[in-house]
Amino acid sequence: MVDGANGRLVYQGYVIADLAQEMSFEEVAYLLWEGQLPNRSQLDALTSELAASRQLTKAANTALDALPKDTDPMDVLRSIVSVQGVEHRLASPTRPLAIHATASFPTILAMFYRRKLGLEPVQPRPDLGHAANYLHMMNGKEASPEVVRALNTYLVLLADHGMNASTFTARVIASTESDLSSALVGAIGALKGPAHGGAPSAVIEQLEEIGAAPDAERWMRDARKRKVKFMGFGHRVYRVYDPRAKILKEMCQRMNPKFFSLASKVEEIALTILHEEHPERPQSTNVEFYSAGVLQAIGLPKEFFTPTFAVSRVAGWSAHVLEQAAHNRIIRPQSEYIGPEPRKPVPLAQRG
Amino acid sequence: MAEFSPGLEGVVAAETAVSEVDGANGRLIYRGGYLIEDLVPVTSYEEVAYLLWHGELPNEKDLDAVRQHMSRARRLKDSARKTLMAMEPSTDPMDVLRTVVSAQGASPALTKPNLEEAVALTAVFPTIVGAVLRRRQGKDPVEPRDDLGHAANLLWSLEGKDPDSQKVHLVDSYLVLLADHGLNASTFAARVVASTGSDLASCVVGAIAALKGPAHGGATLAARNMLDKIGSAENAERWLTDAHARHERFSGFGHRVYRTYDPRAKILREMAKTASPELHRTAARTEEVALKILHDAHPERPNATNVDFWASVVLTGAGIPKELFTTVFATSRVSGWTAHVLESLSDLRIIRPASRWIGPEPGRKPLQLAKR
Repeated sequence: MVDGANGRLVYQGYVIADLAQEMSFEEVAYLLWEGQLPNRSQLDALTSELAASRQLTKAANTALDALPKDTDPMDVLRSIVSVQGVEHRLASPTRPLAIHATASFPTILAMFYRRKLGLEPVQPRPDLGHAANYLHMMNGKEASPEVVRALNTYLVLLADHGMNASTFTARVIASTESDLSSALVGAIGALKGPAHGGAPSAVIEQLEEIGAAPDAERWMRDARKRKVKFMGFGHRVYRVYDPRAKILKEMCQRMNPKFFSLASKVEEIALTILHEEHPERPQSTNVEFYSAGVLQAIGLPKEFFTPTFAVSRVAGWSAHVLEQAAHNRIIRPQSEYIGPEPRKPVPLAQRG
Repeated sequence: MAEFSPGLEGVVAAETAVSEVDGANGRLIYRGGYLIEDLVPVTSYEEVAYLLWHGELPNEKDLDAVRQHMSRARRLKDSARKTLMAMEPSTDPMDVLRTVVSAQGASPALTKPNLEEAVALTAVFPTIVGAVLRRRQGKDPVEPRDDLGHAANLLWSLEGKDPDSQKVHLVDSYLVLLADHGLNASTFAARVVASTGSDLASCVVGAIAALKGPAHGGATLAARNMLDKIGSAENAERWLTDAHARHERFSGFGHRVYRTYDPRAKILREMAKTASPELHRTAARTEEVALKILHDAHPERPNATNVDFWASVVLTGAGIPKELFTTVFATSRVSGWTAHVLESLSDLRIIRPASRWIGPEPGRKPLQLAKR
């Protein structure tokens, strides 16, 4: 639940700030799927099931090798999740299928990343947790506990967020009684859009353009004259500071001081300018703004920011699909026709 | 607090000029204001696709240009072809279509949906659908033919021989009939994806994913499966009566929007007589009995045959194997999906409905793992 008025994000009754520091991504995925936090044996079972599901199918590996190395990683993810999830007979969404899909996302991205760089693929390590294994497969070495912890917190924070556009896409697809992979592939396509998940790399790009803190105000005031949008601000739902952004901001300050010194200055100026322009609107920093600094500190390349968002959100997408499938009704809204009144077609030869 | 509408029934989620389902009067209006029954006798699929994309029927020169454009775009990229060949031949045809369209549409940088890409994606569907069937039959896919129209090329891609003109006509009419249908679930999925500023391939892949569901595009296959189980006109009454007693749903009946006979079903019903006389006989008797049973059970409901029921008979008559039905539906609807996406770009606003929280009161403190 996104409680925009009070700036709260609630997973199954738990406020995000209470989960982010303590929980592993696996625990939160369990929570989203099952409605309650796991006990030790439930968590162990889930962890080993996830670890055992990290390999790609032969078809997925072949397809991954066939895609050009310069392909947008979101297009790679969309295509390979699609091939990894093919079936011979339509299956209803289930929790084991959700686990398999969730486990495969880091493998797909890491395999592609290393291929892109001309490096040997790294096999998944079943003894590592979800966040640690992702970094291990990307970099070919174990990440420090601090970095693993930071990625884990990011994955916990982004795992679900009410009825956002990608989650809604997944639900529309599930509402036709289609399969889980279909719903996830659709959601990836929606997350790709810059108005949704495609923004964190844009934050970095804008900060790079701004360059240095002393130039920020001049650049930003000029930018507004050219109608340039400030990246990382505003949200349809929150009316106060996004609770996830608050946590990410603290992490960013600790882990990425260089980014933070420019970003916090830019944030201050952006909020001032936006408030001057629209004093009536609640202006606030969104989750993407400081995500960018955290993901950069974790060492992920910026074209993998949105795909890493998907690594987290797949838990929420699949939880929503399971919920939709359990209480289904096809999602078919109406449209308002704004075309001309009915008329007769002119035969081809007589058309001007 | 906004009102909760399960299934968004009755919620107006878009303004569109691409098509209008006038359920109360049993009319389907395509872009430009043309009624479906007026278009079918005089237009090919390419003309209708052009109409949905541009808002006007093409003249001879425009039509020639769009045909040539489509002919040129029928080949798969090397990466998409390898992806296709990597999948087991027995893979669900819709999963192959979803995957190969995704690979075909993969690109290095985000591009805004555009007409050029809409034409190209539409053109490539028959190539994929044909390859799916041929691989299932243990045959090699054939190269697309650039001298054939869209419907004829689809049959060529499936059969690998010069298509029969009668069948081409059936397929072409089917493709015209199914090309668009208001804000159905797959079209809506495409528009939601588009609303985030994503690319056209992502929109189309999401739409394929939604069409796959048995409650949407999978319904044509379900109708044919039911007819197969019934087997003959003579068996219809007994089978349907038994099925009704078991509370089984009849496939091919009912629609959320139409309150009268679906105009597409009416046209397909006529076509079915000559397309597949034997199956038509079974289907006609099935329809008669099913409508009577449904009316007796729910006299207050508008019970009517839907498009899937008669489409299954016509596609059978055109020689399309039933496991390919949903992919052929997608081959038609892709022009509508892309037209909707292009239309939505003029006033893009993220589609993000509200949900109602039904979980526990917020603020529960999570217990430490060891204490759970």
